[in-house]
Amino acid sequence: MISQFFILSSKGDPLIYKDFRGDSGGRDVAELFYRKLTGLPGDESPVVMHHHGRHFIHIRHSGLYLVVTTSENVSPFSLLELLSRLATLLGDYCGSLGEGTISRNVALVYELLDEVLDYGYVQTTSTEMLRNFIQTEAVVSKPFSLFDLSSVGLFGAETQQSKVAPSSAASRPVLSSRSDQSQKNEVFLDVVERLSVLIASNGSLLKVDVQGEIRLKSFLPSGSEMRIGLTEEFCVGKSELRGYGPGIRVDEVSFHSSVNLDEFESHRILRLQPPQGELTVMRYQLSDDLPSPLPFRLFPSVQWDRGSGRLQVYLKLRCDLPSKSQALNVRLHLPLPRGVVSLSQELSSPEQKAELAEGALRWDLPRVQGGSQLSGLFQMDVPGPPGPPSHGLSTSASPLGLGPASLSFELPRHTCSGLQVRFLRLAFRPCGNANPHKWVRHLSHSDAYVIRI
Amino acid sequence: MTDSKYFTTTKKGEIFELKAELNSDKKEKKKEAVKKVIASMTVGKDVSALFPDVVNCMQTDNLELKKLVYLYLMNYAKSQPDMAIMAVNTFVKDCEDPNPLIRALAVRTMGCIRVDKITEYLCEPLRKCLKDEDPYVRKTAAVCVAKLHDINAQLVEDQGFLDTLKDLISDSNPMVVANAVAALSEIAESHPSSNLLDLNPQSINKLLTALNECTEWGQIFILDCLANYMPKDDREAQSICERVTPRLSHANSAVVLSAVKVLMKFMEMLSKDLDYYGTLLKKLAPPLVTLLSAEPELQYVALRNINLIVQKRPEILKHEMKVFFVKYNDPIYVKLEKLDIMIRLASQANIAQVLAELKEYATEVDVDFVRKAVRAIGRCAIKVEQSAERCVSTLLDLIQTKVNYVVQEAIVVIKDIFRKYPNKYESVIATLCENLDSLDEPEARAAMIWIVGEYAERIDNADELLESFLEGFHDESTQVQLQLLTAIVKLFLKKPTETQELVQQVLSLATQDSDNPDLRDRGYIYWRLLSTDPVAAKEVVLAEKPLISEETDLIEPTLLDELICYIGTLASVYHKPPSAFVEGGRGVVHKSLPPRTASSESAESPETAPTGAPPGEQPDVIPAQGDLLGDLLNLDLGPPVSGPPLATSSVQMGAVDLLGGGLDSLMGDEPEGIGGTNFVAPPTAAVPANLGAPIGSGLSDLFDLTSGVGTLSGSYVAPKAVWLPAMKAKGLEISGTFTRQVGSISMDLQLTNKALQVMTDFAIQFNRNSFGLAPAAPLQVHAPLSPNQTVEISLPLSTVGSVMKMEPLNNLQVGSGQGRHPSPYSPTSRAPLGSVEGRVYRQMFLATWKDIPNENEAQFQIRDCPLNAEAASSKLQSSNIFTVAKRNVEGQDMLYQSLKLTNGIWVLAELRIQPGNPSCTVRLSLKCRAPEVSQHVYQAYETILKN
Repeated sequence: MISQFFILSSKGDPLIYKDFRGDSGGRDVAELFYRKLTGLPGDESPVVMHHHGRHFIHIRHSGLYLVVTTSENVSPFSLLELLSRLATLLGDYCGSLGEGTISRNVALVYELLDEVLDYGYVQTTSTEMLRNFIQTEAVVSKPFSLFDLSSVGLFGAETQQSKVAPSSAASRPVLSSRSDQSQKNEVFLDVVERLSVLIASNGSLLKVDVQGEIRLKSFLPSGSEMRIGLTEEFCVGKSELRGYGPGIRVDEVSFHSSVNLDEFESHRILRLQPPQGELTVMRYQLSDDLPSPLPFRLFPSVQWDRGSGRLQVYLKLRCDLPSKSQALNVRLHLPLPRGVVSLSQELSSPEQKAELAEGALRWDLPRVQGGSQLSGLFQMDVPGPPGPPSHGLSTSASPLGLGPASLSFELPRHTCSGLQVRFLRLAFRPCGNANPHKWVRHLSHSDAYVIRI
Repeated sequence: MTDSKYFTTTKKGEIFELKAELNSDKKEKKKEAVKKVIASMTVGKDVSALFPDVVNCMQTDNLELKKLVYLYLMNYAKSQPDMAIMAVNTFVKDCEDPNPLIRALAVRTMGCIRVDKITEYLCEPLRKCLKDEDPYVRKTAAVCVAKLHDINAQLVEDQGFLDTLKDLISDSNPMVVANAVAALSEIAESHPSSNLLDLNPQSINKLLTALNECTEWGQIFILDCLANYMPKDDREAQSICERVTPRLSHANSAVVLSAVKVLMKFMEMLSKDLDYYGTLLKKLAPPLVTLLSAEPELQYVALRNINLIVQKRPEILKHEMKVFFVKYNDPIYVKLEKLDIMIRLASQANIAQVLAELKEYATEVDVDFVRKAVRAIGRCAIKVEQSAERCVSTLLDLIQTKVNYVVQEAIVVIKDIFRKYPNKYESVIATLCENLDSLDEPEARAAMIWIVGEYAERIDNADELLESFLEGFHDESTQVQLQLLTAIVKLFLKKPTETQELVQQVLSLATQDSDNPDLRDRGYIYWRLLSTDPVAAKEVVLAEKPLISEETDLIEPTLLDELICYIGTLASVYHKPPSAFVEGGRGVVHKSLPPRTASSESAESPETAPTGAPPGEQPDVIPAQGDLLGDLLNLDLGPPVSGPPLATSSVQMGAVDLLGGGLDSLMGDEPEGIGGTNFVAPPTAAVPANLGAPIGSGLSDLFDLTSGVGTLSGSYVAPKAVWLPAMKAKGLEISGTFTRQVGSISMDLQLTNKALQVMTDFAIQFNRNSFGLAPAAPLQVHAPLSPNQTVEISLPLSTVGSVMKMEPLNNLQVGSGQGRHPSPYSPTSRAPLGSVEGRVYRQMFLATWKDIPNENEAQFQIRDCPLNAEAASSKLQSSNIFTVAKRNVEGQDMLYQSLKLTNGIWVLAELRIQPGNPSCTVRLSLKCRAPEVSQHVYQAYETILKN
């Protein structure tokens, strides 16, 4: 069971400290944890740390360390799940998770902890249930910042982003006020997919998988029913097929426990009465069999002259998205042989940028239109002992340390699985107020998109 | 107004100011003041001086304020126990409050105040709250019982709270059930013997019902509790599995893993032929794969668990190889773990894919990862024979890259491949030799030297190669020195004419110029061997090597089975049993899988031998990290494990003498010297032991059998026998016997000081033996032993030591001693050590009986045994020989029995008793996969039945 819970700031100061069982070494433990953490080499800290019969499990969230300790053989999964739930909960109650909000709301955080954990046993993490018990109001501060204006165009003109919900809209406490009725009734629904792809050096596709989730953040009063309609051709499992069309198929689906699936089989409609706050309505995954072509293909060609150490890399990147779509913030990362110097480049369009950073080539393409093709020619010198003279001629064999290339990008308004939200209907009718705002977004981004060279 | 002002620095009058505010009449002001106090408390300021003032605020009807005050109380009551009493009245009153939130709050806070004086006031309110009408209060009270138990266990028992808690398991509210289960589980852990969580089919049914209704966290408690239940048959196991399976698709990974644990455990009881078994296997894969899409922290924990599951049941994930492919942006700890699992899943079907991946990984930038990838290629070669050739050529390609660390790793693994497939890939040796100069890591150098020595006859310039290493002999690490010594001796035995000088040189380097006892010992042994009998030397040094095992880092099956019971806990992350890292023995009840009932092992996974699998598979492949002989020949290249542990300490007595008597027996030239005796006859010492004389001390003593006969079997305890007479051990006489209590074995020793001086510093050490016996705790002799004094010690033994087949099987060599003079002796246990898990089920008995070939059956007669079937059965039962079935055939009573030796060998027995037979002869047939134990089992039967 959990012995202690604490939140440390990024500098290691304890913001919150709670001892549940009285069996542990007191507050010094927090300091011990921080010393252990900072004493580690590298930035990849072990998930579970062990010190004199005490186990530390932590996550890092918004610059804070959320840590639990235990001295027993408990489930690390439940602790990790709990920590991430706590992060969400604290965010829901305090507005956002951060050093400032936590220290402004110490009393509230303790009250929450008391209800969530009793004697180290998790009681509940549902916002809905906790609502009945929590008395303290959140202290919200609204610091004025120029950054908040970034979502508004010059002179209030509509910018492109105005179609999208302002980024700060979602970061306010869900439950801050029981009295304040003036708040907007808003619902945010995101379909987010992460795409990981592995392409062999001969161009064959080794692995594709898509991890998707439908996330909901609701500011509506709890218990108001909503229906989410998904693409009708949506089917689950390898065998099932619906209709004659190609179908939108996924391998595995799991739903949040509050989702009612009565209409799912027949009409692909999810019915739910979400509590206020964030929840993941549905998670799904799909591997190997993507309905649409991959968003990007890369055609590299490498010329390496072992004798002179001259390395020439020609990269051609084709975007296979439909021509109406585009990819944003595309970045290609290509590790280079050790000690590469002097990059000369020829790029196909001016808005691109390429540079050498940390032993790798970084090629930035802020915007790539569907169907377009871009290219870059890069020449480098690889110093070091010249290779054996027998290989002196120009060869196509690539030197050690080159590749694999990886791409990162965002695809707004695009899902790789093809899953779309057809509609989001609210049964809730506010008294007098305007209709609640509904924001639905679709987004895919890369997780690991690797092309071997 | 922002609250950040709470954090302003403490000025002198701050406490005073707060005091005033706390005593203010205005509720708002009071609340703000308490908030400030709590904020100060959090950042570590001492605000305990305000205790009375804060407690004064307690009597309020404002819930928010009350909560704040209670929060303060929990923190400071411990340091101010006297003042905490002041709060008791309010607590008791609050427990009667009409508002359930306040009742629950009071009972929750009271439990957190860990002050003894308060606990007695707690009982009455707690009793009421346990029966409260509001489930929120009841569930809080349930946890409070656990809190109170931690403070004062006796009080909880006396007040009968445990019974009330048990009743709560049948509560209508699932949340209450979950908390009651959690509280009971925790209390039960501190009383392993008590039957608190009495799980029976009825209560299991209730739990399963609550499982569907309660919150995800409650589901975890309940699933963990279910995992401790032992279903009575496979049908019950299946029905529980069916009801647990839906949890696999839960969004909370902790619920999923707890469900996986229950299923993995109960699957043991399902027959593999069952359709449901196959269905279950299929259902387990998707949730495990899903876990890999979580954030890296969870992924890592999941991978550690999958690693266990894959070792236990590779069939679950055999088609999911691709999900374990490494992503370039995985953190390194995830990468390494994935690599490990990839190798475990590698099979002929997917080896091409795996190799292609591994080759890619071997060219990445991260050095650790690259090394591991190269090693992985070697492991694939060893695991999948058909792929060996491809692996070797892949490794050669990698060697061509000339990247230093890649080359070195590749050479290390190629050595293993040579071990596994001798005389098959020598063609690559030339390439390896080209890279000799670039090797700078000891392990790689040692590997290369081993290769040169092993194939000396095929390498023309082997002597030159080895000689080049010899120049800097003293700068090499021990590993390389030892290897070089062995390799040159091998070379000499193969090409004696040209290398005489070289071998002289290395022997003198090792024996005269080295301070390392291991090296010196090995040098002397070789020297002796070569000078006395070169033919024997050849037989020893160039002996055929045992094969290396397929998977070098498999977790031991018994440990694996235990870890499977701990899936989804920290134990599964550390891959250690909880006893290894949980302090204070709480929650370290040894768990084991239910006995396997399925009889047909699937042929495709022979490497997974679950506990209780068809008995007696004598491993014909021994692990590379080796035994005594293996170490002497230096087959392994790991850190040198010095041969017999006692040998090193005897060095002080003169290294030359060591060779005098010890060497011959060590090398097995005189088999009767090692075993000493045949089975029944009293043992005879091979070499007369004489501590004073230069010859015959040390090693020879180790093999010297003294007349120790201890029979070890359940209720029957052999009288203590003198194992080590005083005259052989400088006056220390040791006698002893083996006993067994509740499943654990211990060695009862009686130490008598027959010398004239006081003896201190006792220690004991066991050599490897057939039963894996090892001391579970150090020998504890507290006071010095004065002359003519006798102490009795009981030394707990465990059976987790390394197992080596001894000749005879039940030979156990033990060295114990005091001060710096170890005196080895060998208590011979006559009966094999039966293990408590030796019970098998009827179907399994039948199937296994048929499965074992008839030539393994041994028949014996036990004369003069006047027992009837019942008496014999109960007598044997107490010695952990279990009766599976009983039949009466033609007036004869037939008993079918099973037992399991502690080293995992199963023995099945059929006992025929003729009730009216005047000669009182009992006929015994034994069947076992390892027929050599039959004789000993028969002896055991005889001993037990006649006593």
